[in-house]
Amino acid sequence: MSLWLQIVDTAGAVLLLIGAATCLLGVIGMLRLPDVLSRSHAATKPQTLGMILVLAGVALRLRGGMELATLALIAFFQMLTGPVASHLVARSAYRTGQVDHSELLFDELDEQLTDGK
Amino acid sequence: MKRVLGFSFRNADLPPLSFEFGTRRRVLDLPLIAWLTVIWVLLWSTLTWANVLTGLVVSVGVCLAFPLPRVDLGLRLHAWGILRLAGYLFYDMYTSAVKVTRQTLFGLPHRAAVIGVPLRCRSDLMLAATAVAVSNVPGGSIIEVRRATATVFVHVLDADRPEELEAARRQVWRVEELTVRAFGTPDEIARVAEPPPPPQLATGRPAP
Repeated sequence: MSLWLQIVDTAGAVLLLIGAATCLLGVIGMLRLPDVLSRSHAATKPQTLGMILVLAGVALRLRGGMELATLALIAFFQMLTGPVASHLVARSAYRTGQVDHSELLFDELDEQLTDGK
Repeated sequence: MKRVLGFSFRNADLPPLSFEFGTRRRVLDLPLIAWLTVIWVLLWSTLTWANVLTGLVVSVGVCLAFPLPRVDLGLRLHAWGILRLAGYLFYDMYTSAVKVTRQTLFGLPHRAAVIGVPLRCRSDLMLAATAVAVSNVPGGSIIEVRRATATVFVHVLDADRPEELEAARRQVWRVEELTVRAFGTPDEIARVAEPPPPPQLATGRPAP
């Protein structure tokens, strides 16, 4: 029995480590990618995945019913709020001209913003 | 003379599973109250009668203090659809994290692009849910959502070849279908079951 507990504990620790490493990769991406929109990719996706992996690791070590539900709630709100924040950053960056249009391969939003209004 | 208490199964104007009361016709949405109570109990992280009761009192208080417009949001829960959406999102989140990581670490030269993808669903809630789900997949991050034409504008990180753009478009439509099948009303589901609009419409359609 204690062997199983040890295996679960180790798996939890490994998940924690992988999750933290994924978050770190997101930070490196923020430093290395060239512009706001590319950086927002790095800021949201590896970070959300890393957060969920850390939560899974914590869940494996806590192993209680209510704690699991609380962790699921945290993951749910993380997935719900992260995209909203990144959308607001991307939208305001685009509208205030922080985006270098010559760098983009093509841009279907620009036509709509200039013609449509 | 109006009734003091009205239930949604007698009055079709009300959202499903809700009732209104009093002379000021306050509406209480029962699923919303249940959800707020669940969050309250989880925040205290012990399931006791005292927590459930105070949770109910607090959520009724919140719903009365900050009343929502009395509309049917069009939220339906389909258990199997939610499972499929969660599985697809988790898999996609993993692949997108790997892709972004590769892009960062090895600094591959790439050209980004902004594409507009017209969606098939029309309700605000489904539009928002799809936008949130798309932000979590490798297709890209949402820059702008145009509500009148139900078009989302997506920043695609790795768009060197036309196939990549087509793949990103198809992925948005796939996520849309899964999202609506998880949360949508029957007629929204019927709408996403149709094939996506052709790409010509995606580029040249003027805003009304």
